[in-house]
Amino acid sequence: MPAPLGAAKPGPTDPERTLRIQQDHDAIARLADELLPALIAKLASGGLGEIEVRQGGWKARLRKLATVPEPNKAATAEIAAHARGVGHGRPGEREGRGRDPKEAQQDKVVAMSPAVGIYNPRRDLAVGMRVRAGDKIGTVDVLGVQQDVVSPVDGIIGSSLAEAGEAVEYGQELVRIEPPEQAPTSEAAAGVAAAGPEAVAVAGKA
Amino acid sequence: MFSKVLIANRGEIALRILRACRTLGIGAVVAYSEADRESLAAQLADEAICIGPADAKRSYLSAPAIISAAVVTGCDAIHPGYGFLSEDEHFAEVVRAHDLTFIGPSAEVLERFASKEATRRILSAHGLATIPGSGMLRDEAHALEEAARVGYPVLIKPSAGGGGKGMRLVRTPRELETTFKVSRSEAMAGFGDDSLYLEKFLEDNRHVEIQVAVDRFGHAIHMGDRDCSVQRRHQKLIEETPSPALSDVARKDLAEKALRAVTAAGYENLGTLEFLVDAKGKAYFIEINCRIQVEHPITELCTGIDMVALQIKIAAGEKLGLTQADVVSRGHAIEFRILAEDPAKDFRPQAGQVGDYLAPGGPGIRMDSHLYPGYEVPSYYDSLLGKLSVWAPDRPQAIARADAALRELLVDGIVTNIELHRAILANQVFVDGKVTTSLLDRVGSAPFVAAGNR
Repeated sequence: MPAPLGAAKPGPTDPERTLRIQQDHDAIARLADELLPALIAKLASGGLGEIEVRQGGWKARLRKLATVPEPNKAATAEIAAHARGVGHGRPGEREGRGRDPKEAQQDKVVAMSPAVGIYNPRRDLAVGMRVRAGDKIGTVDVLGVQQDVVSPVDGIIGSSLAEAGEAVEYGQELVRIEPPEQAPTSEAAAGVAAAGPEAVAVAGKA
Repeated sequence: MFSKVLIANRGEIALRILRACRTLGIGAVVAYSEADRESLAAQLADEAICIGPADAKRSYLSAPAIISAAVVTGCDAIHPGYGFLSEDEHFAEVVRAHDLTFIGPSAEVLERFASKEATRRILSAHGLATIPGSGMLRDEAHALEEAARVGYPVLIKPSAGGGGKGMRLVRTPRELETTFKVSRSEAMAGFGDDSLYLEKFLEDNRHVEIQVAVDRFGHAIHMGDRDCSVQRRHQKLIEETPSPALSDVARKDLAEKALRAVTAAGYENLGTLEFLVDAKGKAYFIEINCRIQVEHPITELCTGIDMVALQIKIAAGEKLGLTQADVVSRGHAIEFRILAEDPAKDFRPQAGQVGDYLAPGGPGIRMDSHLYPGYEVPSYYDSLLGKLSVWAPDRPQAIARADAALRELLVDGIVTNIELHRAILANQVFVDGKVTTSLLDRVGSAPFVAAGNR
């Protein structure tokens, strides 16, 4: 395999990446748990059509859907949730083509592909294995250069969504990560967290 | 011929390339960024692959992402479109190193024509006139001597500058005397290098370009010219063919000269030679574009040649299959770049969701656009929403059809420049075919729009 590409490939080192993932998830969790319920209440009660809040590099924008007559049910929350370079919380995910809508509804955390290439899970990867956020789950071979697939959260390895040796695209879901002891708290960190039945999560780092 | 092509671009050109691939009966994979997941090309393609995030540096400008996508989807060629990596000789080289074909000139050809200055020297050696200028200016006396030789007015340019930065227009020797020292210190302050040179300033120039195609067996054709004088800050807005600036004799002469020069210089594949034409009709070569151009549809409308298909065939090593005698240009065609820009607010780019969208129709009307109702225009890329191209047997009829089509074109939800186009069409200078490249910048767009609203 020719070399020039490999050398040119930029990428953060593992500790940096892990730290960033952690920070991103903390920020998302904070937004979902503390900020959003308050904002939704405020939007629903007041005459405002849209609220935007910025905090520590993140922003949340809430917009009333004009077509829904009852203002209480009209609040649509948009959480900023796609962390740069981590490959989760894809903005188009909620409308992803060919996805089972039921599946999209479920709260789930998945490890995603950091690049286009050939996926290979870690050899010892097994369902039920415990992982911490930032742990390497496998690699994606990009023209001979291995890019790490990492777990976005602490949890337990669930079902695989891609086979070893499979060609995967950027952001493709590879491995489900189940919450440890079924604790529901990791919902917010999923990047697709629903803050309530009328709320949909989307994203953009401010 | 290729079996499958990776389309490494977005917007309307990704769609255009997809259509060409289907016409040729070859497979196509659309490579898209996360921001373009809902794009029309990605939706219409039989196969589409996400190559990276919205940031173009990590998607459309990432050679590893694009090449890896081509490899894993089993493509044997990559079409770069325009912009992004389309003229990057290093990318072309790496594509080849992975046993894929870059649809465009070879890395060697791209490298030979990569520098504007070197290209001008090469093509000047093959008989194309270039804008008269000096070498590096030693001192003020030397500058005066050179300015007198090329003739006033002249532009004083810092050698280390680019994109028009630090240039000064000088109309008399007296002005040159006062400007020279200032330019020197400005160049030093701005670029860390006080080298200056000067170039003849072409007043009221027109931008005319010649489209050529050369296969690897040395067969070459030109497909006539295009006039792209309607510009705003060096961005083309309206293009037409044939150019109203040239007589038929001058037109044929320029096209033949350009084709001879570029073939002799070893060019290959589709290419566009750009010229500035002065008030007297003299054409000066300025640069070559080694890719498909945004404005190619007007040439297609007049010649009936599918230029993207031709480009793919040449890259696949096939013969042109056309001689100059086969290329017949009929009628007149005009293209309007429909941009998400607000003319009333200094052409600020607009993003957001398209509401209703309706493309115009009728005889001679062609719309190249990736819009559809509900499409979210991302804010990460250029503001081109589409291209309306109009063909008619002659220029007045083309203008009439264009106005009718622009009235029909509906893009709700986003501010566009459609009304500015109608205003320009109604302007006498345009009707007379006398628009020069600086006109829109000099008078501003407001008078056009105001006049158009009356």
